[in-house]
Amino acid sequence: MFRLPRLTAALLCLALAASALAAPFTPGNDSEVVERLPGGGSDPAVRRVDSLRKQLASNPGDGKLRLEIARRYFELAMAQGDPRFVGYASATLAPLQPTAENNAGYWLQRGEIEQYSHDFPDALASLDRASKIDPSSPEPMAWRSAIFMVQARYPDAMVECRKLAPLTVPLFGAGCSSYVDAATGQLAAAYQQLNGVLAASPNADPGLKIWALTRLADMAERLQHSNQAEAHFRAALALGLNDQYLLGAYSDFLLEHGRPAEVEKLLASWERSDVLLLRLALAGAALKDSKAAGWADQMRDRFQAAALRGDRLHEQEAARFELDVEHHTKEALALAVRNYGVQKEPRDAEVLLRTALAAGDAKAAQPALDWLRSSNYEDPRLAKLATQLGGKR
Amino acid sequence: MKRLVLFAVGLLLAATAWAHKPSDSYLTLRAQDGKGDVTARWDIALRDLDYVLQLDRDTNGELTWGEVRQRTEDISRYATAHLQLSTGDKECPWETTAPLQLEHHSDGTYAVLSLVAHCPNLDAGLKAHYSLFFDVDPSHRGLVQWIAPGAVTGETAAQALIFGTESSEQSLALQPTGAWQTLRQYLVDGVWHIWIGYDHILFLLSLLLPAVLVRRGNQWQGVERLPTAVKEVLKVVTAFTLAHSITLTLAALQVISLPSRLVESTIAASVVFAALNNLKGTIESRRWVMAFCFGLIHGFGFASVLADLGLPQNALVLALVGFNLGVEVGQLAIVAVFLPVAFLLRGTGFYRRGVLTFGSALIALIALWWFVQRAFDIQGGPF
Repeated sequence: MFRLPRLTAALLCLALAASALAAPFTPGNDSEVVERLPGGGSDPAVRRVDSLRKQLASNPGDGKLRLEIARRYFELAMAQGDPRFVGYASATLAPLQPTAENNAGYWLQRGEIEQYSHDFPDALASLDRASKIDPSSPEPMAWRSAIFMVQARYPDAMVECRKLAPLTVPLFGAGCSSYVDAATGQLAAAYQQLNGVLAASPNADPGLKIWALTRLADMAERLQHSNQAEAHFRAALALGLNDQYLLGAYSDFLLEHGRPAEVEKLLASWERSDVLLLRLALAGAALKDSKAAGWADQMRDRFQAAALRGDRLHEQEAARFELDVEHHTKEALALAVRNYGVQKEPRDAEVLLRTALAAGDAKAAQPALDWLRSSNYEDPRLAKLATQLGGKR
Repeated sequence: MKRLVLFAVGLLLAATAWAHKPSDSYLTLRAQDGKGDVTARWDIALRDLDYVLQLDRDTNGELTWGEVRQRTEDISRYATAHLQLSTGDKECPWETTAPLQLEHHSDGTYAVLSLVAHCPNLDAGLKAHYSLFFDVDPSHRGLVQWIAPGAVTGETAAQALIFGTESSEQSLALQPTGAWQTLRQYLVDGVWHIWIGYDHILFLLSLLLPAVLVRRGNQWQGVERLPTAVKEVLKVVTAFTLAHSITLTLAALQVISLPSRLVESTIAASVVFAALNNLKGTIESRRWVMAFCFGLIHGFGFASVLADLGLPQNALVLALVGFNLGVEVGQLAIVAVFLPVAFLLRGTGFYRRGVLTFGSALIALIALWWFVQRAFDIQGGPF
């Protein structure tokens, strides 16, 4: 029998009871619009994949088409932050497995889906298979490097960066290796290098530029050059693409510098994104805004919905929410500890340090403190947290 | 190139973006008594139904009620083909009991199906096999609430089950979570909470410490007979119990709610007050009044714990009674240890000075720190 943790079970009962109490309704007339579908029928990417799906239905044995559809669904999931599309990608891909022995595309796609659900060991294995089948493809290496970074396995990440550099554009190779260098005690040099390569790549893809600029902003901030960091953020925003990662990083920067009002303005139309909703809730709380309670409620609902299905994908955000909005230090620490067991990026370490400090439990932060020492990661903010925690023992 | 950019932001987004909910359906299964019938209310997202049944006939991206209503048959057939209830190896046939309706959930509009499964009888055990959408979206989950037979009074906790690709077949327990089991569970929680809730213990102790003494002139003296002390203890404990039962009930039923910071700070303040009173002796003979007044606020504190535990909506009263009883049992256990020891020591200077005076002063200090911490929201600290 599938066993649920007691709290989850209680939550589930409550939610289901609540849903059973709410009365269903019957709309007054047939022309009433009752639901809007994703993409609203006008999104060309959604329409295209719909029509490909119809093609596949008439020819289910077409492996190439199947792979193409899975790839498009995964891209949609990334662009819209909609997990249903990952499910569709995974279902589309599944029938290929028995014949996928030498299909690099299959293993790449499978690895991407596995890393999405934080199944890092399987993802690394799948991506490795993809690389072995097609050694000239930079993508599996890029993904592996990114996963190694999440696991704080820096030498492994660097190996992948070196392998992929000759296979792709300079900005991409430089982005990969400077990210590793910046985490391993060569922050200033990494910043210089990436900045130089960016300046020399005026025709690079805007998405790639945004990524490089966001990285540069983070490095500049850690070098205590806040003005430069801000300039990088603004340059990235000026490229005019909606990028949740950029918006999140810039919001964190603004919050850190005591400018919550700008966060509210920046993220005004982003309530639907959970990561950005967290920043809105934080900004609202700092400003004592009347909308803050509403944002916190929405956030709470979404965490509860995730808990209902037993999802544990967003514990870093959950920990920040518990700590900074709810002021539940114990819960926050438990989440941060569990999160750090899976993901070990600097942000994850920072959340663990902060929650441990708030809970007065320096021992819980030990893994992050060890990482900080052994990696030589440079960040005055983290160093300060570590010192404060040191004083607690 | 596009793929590489995707990677560039991909992993970060994967770790962060979850603007939308994954696909879930909500299913309540309720066994009818006497016969083998199981009724079902099943909420399924229109968006998911559209993905498999193409409800959006004019492909304009909007579903009208007409587009949904005209496909009622298909929707019911598709749904019931992906949920089998069976007893022994006999499948229970489904029948629709009411027209299709709609319902809003946090992530959109859902179709609401009202069904009944006719099982020959439930004696051979009941099994559910759930496979809705698993073929097109393996991340779909069926969130099921199962109400076993015998739940006539509605005071039986429903059982929560999650159906996924790895857990598509589960048996539905025929024994409902008994009333006794619910009661016992919450009773244990109540006892446990009073034992780990130091603020409640210290408050009670502060009120009880002087119970074995009387003040003559300016001097504390031991009471002569045990019944005198017992009577005093009884008055305090009863008043405290009565008061916090009232507010615990009101808060748990959501009649009143107070901000937790206010409640927690006031509880700390009540401990300070009770302890200082032992040094100063302002309220002498009517400690039970104090126990009652502050007991009201302690009740709100218990209620927040109960809220964290989660109250079974259909066994609310039982859980409440159980938790309250647990708190009393826990309290009595403390009293049972305290009273004999205090009565034995009452005549000694150690008790009067060491325990009463220094003990109360220490309690007041600790509670004062709690108060500052809670009122000004300070984290950490020695306690």
